[in-house]
Amino acid sequence: MFVDVRPTSRLRGAKALDVTTSLHPIFQALCEDTLDLSRLRMVCDWVQYRKNFREVIDVRAILPAGATLDGVVGTGATDDDIEVAIDLRRCADVALKDIAHAAIGQYHGSGSEPRVFLESWRPTTQSCIWEFNRLYWQALDLWEEATGQMYESALPGGSSDARNTEAVRELLRDLFAIWDQLAARNALPEELYVIELGVGNGNQAKTFLDEFLIVEAAQDRDYYRRLHYLMCDYSPHVLQLARKAVAAHSGHVSSFVLDATQPTTSLGFLKYKVFLIYVSNVYDNLPADEVARLGGRSYRVETRAYLPAAEARSIASDFSTDLKALPELIHKLLRLGPALLAEALPAHFGKASDAVEFWSRVWTGLRLTERYAPLVGLDLYRIAPSVSGEMLRPLLESGGDIRMHVNNGAVASFVDTLPLLHPYGRLLNHDLFVTDTHRYRTGFLGPGKYEGSVVNWINGPLLQHIGSRKGFDVQYQPFRHRKGTNIVTMTAQVRD
Amino acid sequence: MPGHAAAPQSLPYLPTTVVGSYSVPEWLDRLKTDYYQNRLSKQHLSEICDACIKAALKDQELTGIDVVSDGELRRDNDIDYLLARIPGIQVMSATKAYYYDYYETVVTNALPSHDTIALGLAEDFSFTRAHTDRPIKFSFTGPFSLSRRVRNDAYPNTADLVLALAEVLNAEAHRLAAAGATLMQIDEPFLAGYPDEVSVAIEAINVVTKGVDATWGLHVCYGNRYARPSWEGHYDFLFPAVIDANVDQLILEFARKGYDDLQLIQRFGWDRALGLGVIDVKTEDVETPDLIAARIRRALDVVPPERLIVNPDCGLRHLPADVARAKLKAMVEGTAAVRQELPRDEGAAPAAGGALHSVNGDTHGEMIDEATG
Repeated sequence: MFVDVRPTSRLRGAKALDVTTSLHPIFQALCEDTLDLSRLRMVCDWVQYRKNFREVIDVRAILPAGATLDGVVGTGATDDDIEVAIDLRRCADVALKDIAHAAIGQYHGSGSEPRVFLESWRPTTQSCIWEFNRLYWQALDLWEEATGQMYESALPGGSSDARNTEAVRELLRDLFAIWDQLAARNALPEELYVIELGVGNGNQAKTFLDEFLIVEAAQDRDYYRRLHYLMCDYSPHVLQLARKAVAAHSGHVSSFVLDATQPTTSLGFLKYKVFLIYVSNVYDNLPADEVARLGGRSYRVETRAYLPAAEARSIASDFSTDLKALPELIHKLLRLGPALLAEALPAHFGKASDAVEFWSRVWTGLRLTERYAPLVGLDLYRIAPSVSGEMLRPLLESGGDIRMHVNNGAVASFVDTLPLLHPYGRLLNHDLFVTDTHRYRTGFLGPGKYEGSVVNWINGPLLQHIGSRKGFDVQYQPFRHRKGTNIVTMTAQVRD
Repeated sequence: MPGHAAAPQSLPYLPTTVVGSYSVPEWLDRLKTDYYQNRLSKQHLSEICDACIKAALKDQELTGIDVVSDGELRRDNDIDYLLARIPGIQVMSATKAYYYDYYETVVTNALPSHDTIALGLAEDFSFTRAHTDRPIKFSFTGPFSLSRRVRNDAYPNTADLVLALAEVLNAEAHRLAAAGATLMQIDEPFLAGYPDEVSVAIEAINVVTKGVDATWGLHVCYGNRYARPSWEGHYDFLFPAVIDANVDQLILEFARKGYDDLQLIQRFGWDRALGLGVIDVKTEDVETPDLIAARIRRALDVVPPERLIVNPDCGLRHLPADVARAKLKAMVEGTAAVRQELPRDEGAAPAAGGALHSVNGDTHGEMIDEATG
């Protein structure tokens, strides 16, 4: 049996985790069962997200090579065929042995309370959690109205780092230096394009444009006249707010509703023309798979969304439906959104806010069960439309077991954004980046729930590797303008 | 027949050709990287490249390309394949995280006598010659672009380094000609980034071609590193300096940038062949034969058919193989359509002195034999 304790930084100090006390009842439960303990691996995480998709204890199958997405587990040889995953943060003061027995029972299909599944097994990118995520951005106004919480105020620190004026001034000074250099060679285009993907409430755009005028005046330049600032966001509501924020610069600002994973569908006309592409807190919110290397074999994590029986019963009762009809009602919510759902089903939802309440309750209760499916031939796995799974090889084969994010949506956005950059252009991205693959061996990096959205840390080394293969130098450094933040600044620009 | 020199054959007007590199499959990327990380032997890599070159030649033959290349499939990139073979150029670290990365190189002393330096390109050509009966274009990076990737700690100025590298390439060109190469192309992918230095680049090109009995092409583009342009601008920087280049063909990028720069050919009286880029190699969208034909017709407004060659904008290395094949096929079909529109004696067979003729008017071996039948 293999035991992997990941949050090693929490094993020392005044509040050190007592792992042995946590594991003892779980071992007892395992020993009282018939599971093959010689083929079992146990992983202990510290799931820092208060709202997440995990149970305290999950038991996961590791499928042998040859098993298909919905196939029956075969009899092929594997080193391990079961993973027991434990959230150490929630192990204190609970009946761990009972919880472990219940988790093992769910694995055997003999649990006393069957879960209400919302989907079949699938790669995480195809899970309905991303439909919830999409719904959150599309119906953000209703969510905010119901919760009374604005998205930005829910961010750590209460505001986006995008508004940091010193960071923006530094950026502008760099940008002006490049433009000066090109102008001296008579190579500066007449139109100077800047793109922001994911505009939030427009404060970054406003800060950038306000500071632009200040820096331009200080340096006695005439670039504002030629500037085109393109605000792009998935949410029309967010874009509308952002437009109001930059009303004073309306002659220089255009806005686009677009999917951040494929910006060139709308912005292809700007290929090789954009000097700055600014992205903030977008990548962590895009669909992501996870892959793993266990015992020398590669796997993709497959998931299945469900509601625990108790939560499902409670929700069904409160919204006048039964357990069997609940999954369809949830999928109807995801298709229609809360406003239309309330109109379509007045017997269940008197008004839109009732449908938002339903949405919120389901979201809070939503869990993901997992299993590992063999990944045979990395080239057959598509990270993004133009990116082969071969890009994962150096990271997966860096030695030892590892489980990490693929951040498919972020990769798609990244590789579709790079062609927009002018040869002297730069992609600047503030987000939660993992900058060292070893971090995956020592921490839990998502998914978590953030308000109504999904959040994952981003696999920085993967983006670095893919960027390198496309001729870009990708660098990471901690966000320098606010102390104690997890935010990392990624910069990508043409190499050679 | 493999192992034998090409049989003489005639080339039509508007001969189709490639610029140099051919599609590099992902698995070859991986294997080459394995070699540079010491996980694959040189012997195995060489055998793999042999097979890939044969396949690339076959692809070009099947799509109907008139003048083929080895696809540069033996090379790690356009610079290092040459630089790393030049005694006196020091490579700081011979391993690479990715085979296509550039080495960091430095020259600390004047390069040794060029007569003693063989770069192995003649052997590469001979392999290609043995595996196709089509006319071959052999391309290599020019001295100016090579110099941009070397830290110069040896020569008083960059121009001296450029000329020294040109001497090395000239010696190699003589070896290539001796091995039977009759059409050689100098690539200068970095030149567009240094428009003020065209004159030294042209001076060096004339050193490379000096006394070499071959037809010479000069390819200048805006870069194709990782399928991206490295620079932007217009070809006006090339003129009039390029008129003094002792080359027979000027092979330029047009499809991606548009054809406005064709007027430069007319305005500055370029009187030799033009290699017209009709395929955008930076997009996987496959051009239609009609679009290719329209692009050729536009060029025919300023260049007569006997001086027009049809080719992609640049190398095809970043395109998937199926896309590369489809683009070449469209290029061949579009060209054929335009040939049909030429007066019969022009479309069928060129007169002596056609697009592949040497600038000096000498009888430069195979290409002229082929062109004149």
